Amino acid sequence: MKRILIVIIFLIIAAAGWYAYKMYQQKTPDIVNKTPDVVISANDLLDAFNKDTALARKRYVDKVIEVRGIVKRIDTTGSVVLGKEESASEITVGLDRRHLKDYEKLKVGSNAVLQGVCSGYDKASSDDLMASLGTTVELRSAGVKEKK
Amino acid sequence: MLKKNLIIALALLFTVTVSFGQDRFYTKTGKITFYSKAPLEDIEGKNKTVTAVLDSKSGAMQFAVQMKGFEFEKQLMEQHFNENYVESDKYPKAEFKGAISNNADINYSKDGTYTAKIKGKLTIHGITKDVETTGTLKINGGKIDASSTFNVLMSDYNIKIPSIVKDKVSNSIKIVVDCDLEPLKS
Repeated sequence: MKRILIVIIFLIIAAAGWYAYKMYQQKTPDIVNKTPDVVISANDLLDAFNKDTALARKRYVDKVIEVRGIVKRIDTTGSVVLGKEESASEITVGLDRRHLKDYEKLKVGSNAVLQGVCSGYDKASSDDLMASLGTTVELRSAGVKEKK
Repeated sequence: MLKKNLIIALALLFTVTVSFGQDRFYTKTGKITFYSKAPLEDIEGKNKTVTAVLDSKSGAMQFAVQMKGFEFEKQLMEQHFNENYVESDKYPKAEFKGAISNNADINYSKDGTYTAKIKGKLTIHGITKDVETTGTLKINGGKIDASSTFNVLMSDYNIKIPSIVKDKVSNSIKIVVDCDLEPLKS
């Protein structure tokens, strides 16, 4: 009887250890394949942060965002910028390690759909070097969404 | 006559604007990676949407980093970084404001590799500290590849390591900055 109890306790500890190890080893999920919390255009996303920053933060930061916009710049080291040529305000997108080459599917001046997690925003203030940079909304862990 | 003056005035204004614009270089897709090497776990986080501006005339520079913009390989690391260490909900942004102290040694119109001495104030986790480091500016065809590697102590920025892992997580963090700066047309 005692022996059975010891075996059961041992099995429970082993299972708990295995579970903890699996939890610890768990990789960050591929955001690009997830169902987005928000589907929005680059312009509307920038407008939202320009109009009411507090509300936009609540609505978009930490959320999975599918954003459609015009590709303005491509940084082959893992980032894409969406926005209009005439405006300094832009969406900057950091590509996930599993989607680092996704920029190859994009062309400057063309429309693109990207998905990632909104990590925050920057608004230009007039008293510093960044005064002319407009509003910047940032996405991380992103990739190009294939057209369905 | 009036029309001619107007054209000259506009041309002058345009020249001033253009030359003003060319003094500044920027990126919104700079990279900052941090590394923490320790017995318990090696932690690496990378941010690919760093904003940076450098004024070549004065040597002034500024960086803005969203803490939630760091990507990790492991889910738990990302969670711990944001919730327990840097408290990114409370302190969403890290910032550096400073200048290149040997700016006169750098010829921005000549291609080459220059060593920049950088001094300024670094704000992380709501705490601002003076930092001093060196960086490399590679000037190539009107663009600048700016890079720097330096260490910060978590304790300097009041970032607490949970006592259970205190001996196993490093207090010193290596920070690697790599930004490709382009002329800022404003």
